[in-house]
Amino acid sequence: MPRSSSVRVVTALASHGYNAEREAVTLIAGASDPETAIERAVDAAPDDALTLTADHARTAIDATDRAPVFDESSPPETSTIDPDNPSVSTGTRDSPDEAETPSPVETKGSTDGIGAETAAGRSNDPERRSLAVTGDITGRSTGTGTYEDFVRTFRDRYEQLSGMLRSRVNHRPTDAVDAMAGGSDAAIVGMISDIRSTANGHWLVELEDTTGTFPCLIMKDRDLASVVDELLLDEVVAVEGTLAGDGGILFVDDLHFPDVPRNHRPSTADRHVRAALISDVHVGSQEFARDRWSAFADWLHTEAAAEIEYLLIAGDMVEGVGVYPNQDEELDIVDIYDQYERFSEYLKEVPGDMEVLMIPGNHDAVRLAEPQPGFTEELRSIMTAHDARISGNPSMVTVEGVKILMYHGVSLDEVIAELPEAKASYEEPHKPMYQLLKKRHVAPQYGGHIRISPEERDYLVMDEIPDVFHTGHVHKLGYGKYHDVLALNSGCWQEQTSFQRSVNIDPDVGYAPVVDLDTLDLTIQKF
Amino acid sequence: MRPEDEHYFERLESGLDEALGVAETARGMGGDPTPEVEIPVAKDMADRVENILGIEGVADRVRELEGQMSREEAALELAEDFAEGRVGDYETQAGTIEGAVRTAVALLTEGVVAAPIEGIDRVELADNPDGTQFVRVFYAGPIRSAGGTAQALSVLVADYTRALLGLGAYEAREEEVERYAEEIDLYDSETGLQYSPKDEETKFIAENCPVMLDGEATGQEEVSGFRDLERVGTNNPRGGMCLVLAEGIAQKAPKIERYTAELDEVDWPWLDDLIAGTIGEDEGHDEPAGSESAEPAGDGTDESEAEEVEDEPTGPVRPDAAGKYLRDLIAGRPVFGHPSRPGGFRLRYGRSRNNGFATAGVHPATMHLVDDFLATGTQLKTERPGKAAGVVPVDSIEGPTVRLANGEVRRIDDPEDALECRNGVEAILDLGEYLVNYGEFVENNHPLAPASYTYEWWIQEFEATGADVRALRDSPRVDLGEPSPSEAIEWATEYDAPLHPQYTYCWHDISVEAFESLAEAVVAGEYVEGMLALEPLPEVRETLEDLLVPHSQAGDALRIPNSAALVRSLGIDEGLERTWESLSTAAHEWPNAMKAAREVAPFSLRERAPTRIGGRMGRPEKSEKRELSPAVHTLFPIGEAGGSQRDVSEAADHDHEGTRGAVPVQVGRRECVDCDTRTYETRCPDCGSLTEPRYECPDCEIEVEPDESGRAECPRCEGEATPTEWRVVNIRDEYESALREVGERENAFDILKGVKGLTSELKTPEPMEKGVLRAKHGVSAFKDGTIRYDMTDLPVTSVKPAELDVSVEQFRELGYHEDMQGDPLRHDDQLVELRVQDVVLSDGAAEHLLKTADFVDDLLTQYYGLDPFYGFDDRDDLVGELVFGMAPHTSAAVVGRVIGFTSAAVGYAHPYFHASKRRNCDGDEDCVMLLMDGLLNFSKAYLPDKRGGRMDAPLVMSSRIDPSEIDDEAHNMDVVDSYPKEFYEATLEMADPGAVDIEIAEANVGTDEEYTGFRHTTETSNLALGPALSAYKTLGSMTDKMDAQLELARKLRAVDETDVAERIIEYHFLPDLIGNLRAFSRQKTRCLDCGTKYRRMPLSGECRECGGRVNLTVHEGSVKKYIGTATRVAEEYDCRDYTKQRLEVLEMTLESVFENDKNKQSGIADFM
Repeated sequence: MPRSSSVRVVTALASHGYNAEREAVTLIAGASDPETAIERAVDAAPDDALTLTADHARTAIDATDRAPVFDESSPPETSTIDPDNPSVSTGTRDSPDEAETPSPVETKGSTDGIGAETAAGRSNDPERRSLAVTGDITGRSTGTGTYEDFVRTFRDRYEQLSGMLRSRVNHRPTDAVDAMAGGSDAAIVGMISDIRSTANGHWLVELEDTTGTFPCLIMKDRDLASVVDELLLDEVVAVEGTLAGDGGILFVDDLHFPDVPRNHRPSTADRHVRAALISDVHVGSQEFARDRWSAFADWLHTEAAAEIEYLLIAGDMVEGVGVYPNQDEELDIVDIYDQYERFSEYLKEVPGDMEVLMIPGNHDAVRLAEPQPGFTEELRSIMTAHDARISGNPSMVTVEGVKILMYHGVSLDEVIAELPEAKASYEEPHKPMYQLLKKRHVAPQYGGHIRISPEERDYLVMDEIPDVFHTGHVHKLGYGKYHDVLALNSGCWQEQTSFQRSVNIDPDVGYAPVVDLDTLDLTIQKF
Repeated sequence: MRPEDEHYFERLESGLDEALGVAETARGMGGDPTPEVEIPVAKDMADRVENILGIEGVADRVRELEGQMSREEAALELAEDFAEGRVGDYETQAGTIEGAVRTAVALLTEGVVAAPIEGIDRVELADNPDGTQFVRVFYAGPIRSAGGTAQALSVLVADYTRALLGLGAYEAREEEVERYAEEIDLYDSETGLQYSPKDEETKFIAENCPVMLDGEATGQEEVSGFRDLERVGTNNPRGGMCLVLAEGIAQKAPKIERYTAELDEVDWPWLDDLIAGTIGEDEGHDEPAGSESAEPAGDGTDESEAEEVEDEPTGPVRPDAAGKYLRDLIAGRPVFGHPSRPGGFRLRYGRSRNNGFATAGVHPATMHLVDDFLATGTQLKTERPGKAAGVVPVDSIEGPTVRLANGEVRRIDDPEDALECRNGVEAILDLGEYLVNYGEFVENNHPLAPASYTYEWWIQEFEATGADVRALRDSPRVDLGEPSPSEAIEWATEYDAPLHPQYTYCWHDISVEAFESLAEAVVAGEYVEGMLALEPLPEVRETLEDLLVPHSQAGDALRIPNSAALVRSLGIDEGLERTWESLSTAAHEWPNAMKAAREVAPFSLRERAPTRIGGRMGRPEKSEKRELSPAVHTLFPIGEAGGSQRDVSEAADHDHEGTRGAVPVQVGRRECVDCDTRTYETRCPDCGSLTEPRYECPDCEIEVEPDESGRAECPRCEGEATPTEWRVVNIRDEYESALREVGERENAFDILKGVKGLTSELKTPEPMEKGVLRAKHGVSAFKDGTIRYDMTDLPVTSVKPAELDVSVEQFRELGYHEDMQGDPLRHDDQLVELRVQDVVLSDGAAEHLLKTADFVDDLLTQYYGLDPFYGFDDRDDLVGELVFGMAPHTSAAVVGRVIGFTSAAVGYAHPYFHASKRRNCDGDEDCVMLLMDGLLNFSKAYLPDKRGGRMDAPLVMSSRIDPSEIDDEAHNMDVVDSYPKEFYEATLEMADPGAVDIEIAEANVGTDEEYTGFRHTTETSNLALGPALSAYKTLGSMTDKMDAQLELARKLRAVDETDVAERIIEYHFLPDLIGNLRAFSRQKTRCLDCGTKYRRMPLSGECRECGGRVNLTVHEGSVKKYIGTATRVAEEYDCRDYTKQRLEVLEMTLESVFENDKNKQSGIADFM
């Protein structure tokens, strides 16, 4: 709603069933993000209210405008980006002229000041730092690949996600629904085991719980039908509706995702400290952007980056071996151990007092099946630079109170392939991330792109709501806010590969997204 | 046609008519889906084309055009007929184009293959932005069987017809162009293309092609870049389209250009750019793989051009080494030679009677010495001239040279010797000769590679010198083939002929330095017991081995018998005195010692074996009955009631809602024309009248009459009406009545296997009686009701009764009265020229056909109530009987006649017979069926109703072979008994095969002599020499095979064993490990009790259908299977670190997935 007028606000509110005070309308129309403000205002209004007051509006707008402002320090002018509706992530920055733009003042400064690291004054206090990891599979992989392990994993997924949904509907187990009389109202919380269209174009969604399955019909002419586009197999949803006359099928009226509640409020650090969130370094590839990397590392030594005390890397430290056929022909460093050694060397270029944490990706020398444990002892002993912490993929990393969910992002490929372009595309990689947040699972669909290694619980469930969701893998930069969770896909440090050229992917190379942990404001630095 | 040929065909046809008479009577009894025999006889290609397409009037028109023009021109002429409505009757323009395109493909494939019906899905018109319409041709996978030329011409015909009808051209949108490029790359990596066009080429074709190439989705992987395009209906690759664009238009551009040039309506000027090969040239490093035939041709020209530029060549003329055949090396299938490497097969030109048409002659001793990995019929993937060849035994060429454990080096020309000394073989220094006929080079358009120096060349050179060769030939004391060293030296010095090949060594395989040190060693040597004794220096020994000089090691000396010619070739005289001081600069600069030897030898020398041919094992030979999996006796549906074995008697005991033997199955819904009784049988069980399918809407349950095109739409709900229904059939009743009907008891057989469900359109079950009798005789049915036996195809042009285990009397009864020389046939070892439709069965095939004959006889007597037709006692009775030969991907059977048997596991027949099935003999296999079985039991009603369902089914049969109507590859076989001297000389220049005058079969096509005159240059004593089966089939586990393969790699001088190990890991083990690991972590599960499959593990843990135990479909064991072996091989054969590390990463992955971190197995150290 970029040019919202009062009329549109009134119409929007009316559609939610509210009248509004004139002042409230004015306030909302003048808010930085009227659309969110309307939603917030509606949420804020008591259930019995018929008219939205100025107070409601104020509460809503305050909440909305507390949402971070996205700064871009390159070019130096700060531009504000609508967090829920960002411009195409690379559109402006990636314009051809951009290359000609002189590097930002800060960067220049630093180039001159190399070696003057201490002078740059990274005078931060390690005592105040805190970084804790939960949900890390490393060293806890107890699955032995049995059928029972798989069943346990999926049951745990069902238990965790259905727990988020149970309070919202008056659900019954599928076998109980099966026994209910035709025509009665019913609700089911289930894992999607099948989605298919009927001969008449309606959608049949089969929901499964531990007692069995039940077919649920979503009529093609209902508004709800559009939600079918967003459904993925093996995610858990709740449906409400009416049983057919013979009781054999449920006509769905409403469908709920586990989702991030709209009233979710992120936690923030209680001091001004920043974290750089990068991914996909691909050391060892002939296309590794070493100059950009060094420029980034140099910049971290400058005054401008003095508050960046954390560096989080979301996988693909190296290009790996045997990731695709004849990969050796495109490797700069053919030996996998040498690749990690070199990565470690490159990591040494960043300031020694930074806290570094990394998780593996699909190019790394760990198992591909998710959850992926962190590196083996042998590789850890190579990557000793800066005492970096190594954790599994995914991991929930709490940095000074801010919960950052790190996941490499292989499932993004699948979400993009399965969902319509408007909801998920490589151009806007944060959008498929929204979907994952909505489903509260980093890789719902089984049997396709994603490989699963069964464990005693499903480590891929987002049991806690993150404040920041950080992924990589698709080599595109994208960010946005979903229900106040900052979703960020970092670009990469590998120039376009011949494979990417052949499939029309233009990677975003050399971007360092930096999050202010006290405000969750995001700054993008380009190298 | 000669009278004897006419007589032969009449005899075949009268046999066929007799059988048809019996079969018509039997089928007329009404026990089959139709009361007629369903395989129509086609006398010629025109008949076949019309029969396969079912378009009336095509046959007559084809016959009219045939005499006047080429087949390609006729296809275009027919397109005009279609466009102007003279042939075919279509309501729409799309239909007209479709008819024309199908007819063109049928014509170009001689009406044999299934491509015209299965490979073209449909043709549609779509709108251009400018209001005109363009043509979309939807290709499907089976278009592959048409071959590149027909594929490409189908596009041309579509365009031509379009132009005649006044329709617009297709203009590809930019994203569609990009999509073509991405899609073809994807298809190439997933399925593989013979020719992989560069992206620029693909885009260029897409931009210019005036017809939209479209197709059905094939394959699982989707394109990732250009998805969801408006005018492209799928995100999967369209396999048929990819084939037509890449292997058709891109690869065969020169051939199409010939026809576009002649047509006014069609203008494809862009083909010139494509042919010029300039598209995408600037990206030089991304060289396309290139077609096998075109690539070496190019290399050859480059080389000879280079020669002309320089005055003095700097090295010998050789074809470039080509290693493409080593790609995708498979564990257990050994490499026999790396590309063009010394020690590999030596190219010898010639044709033996079982040679030609994509086969290669190998000495049987070689077959044994490569640890029996090669047998008659084993496929060899080869460096040149083609991509692959079937191996045939030829024992008159030179065998392999080996070094035994006692240090002796000798050539082995006797298979018995080979078996005796095999255990003592330390190294195979040379694989022996490799016989390839001239026609092979013609067919592959491959420049002639320099010939080995052989007797048949030398004798022509000797004759040309003025020596009295005739006198020598007549002399009892002289053996021109194996002279003594002194004779050889005398002839070489006295006359101006090169040294006899027997004493010509591989000087081109050693270095000049090695030559010099050998000369030194010889000068320092002495004669002991008539043998030259040399000090056993390692480098001397190695040089002798490289030269292939037979020698032995006695005490402290290397002993060389018959050394005189070797000594003289080194420029050393009888007194072991050197005749030269030093070598010239030119000799020194030459990359090998050939020039040196020529300089110092007192006679002229030819290169002994300039062309070495690399190869590896492809498919093993085959001679096996064709069985569905699981085997099927009766095409009667029994659902899941028969268990996993599909056991009918188990189904007969199945309990369904209290009724024993009742099983719900999907069968045809039929209605009696007379009494309206509903049944699934083709005859009314009540009144015996015919029944007809009844189409009903499954929702509204009202009857619908299908329209002309076979579509039946429900008038009420517009749903599709079907002719099938679920019905509870009492299998017990069926079973008991079938047994009763044919008078058999259940103990007549072990098990009677049915099918789970029927896949045909009308779901007509086969009468179970036939199954009972099949089970009784231990034969099983293919999907179309016939009984088949598969054999690797091999060619043979003349045979001896003795080697076929038949008597000379039987041969005379078959109409063979004269041998190759025109002498009367009296003895069973005389060689007679094979007739074109006569076939030799493998022992296994004979046994299987005997069982089939017994089944057919029982069927005729016990089911149809007629007299037996065959009445065989033993396999001799099979001689003279008619069979069908039929190849996969085709729809036409060819009638053949059995004339004998071979112990080789292959089907030998005339090359024309194989060609008429559109097979060559490079390892292809196809089947034989007993004639009466096909006539009685084949029915279209059984064929699966899906893409490709009509492939591999005898929709039509050819009763006689017309040489002008077969795949013309067979015409390229040479038919002479010797090659002229000029030919051998031309090979040294790497001349174009067309530049040499040797008669090929083509010369006789269309003449009276077209069925005769297939002479050969090289003898072989028997069609079945060497091992009976390849070791690949006799060795047990994959690990055993691979160990044997690597062991052999170590022994062969021409093979680099590390490279072999590396490739096995790269192409076999790693893909297997990676694939299984991927499959494991996204696998389906399956109920152990009822077989229900689940995409994902049920949350309840147990089967939702039956409550049974569900388990994984991919287990730990199958994932981890090869990691140990692969790691061991990588270590043992010293593979690259990259390979070892990939295995390390995988091993770590396996550990991570399959082992509990908290319960790690302790190392042995913990217990020490």
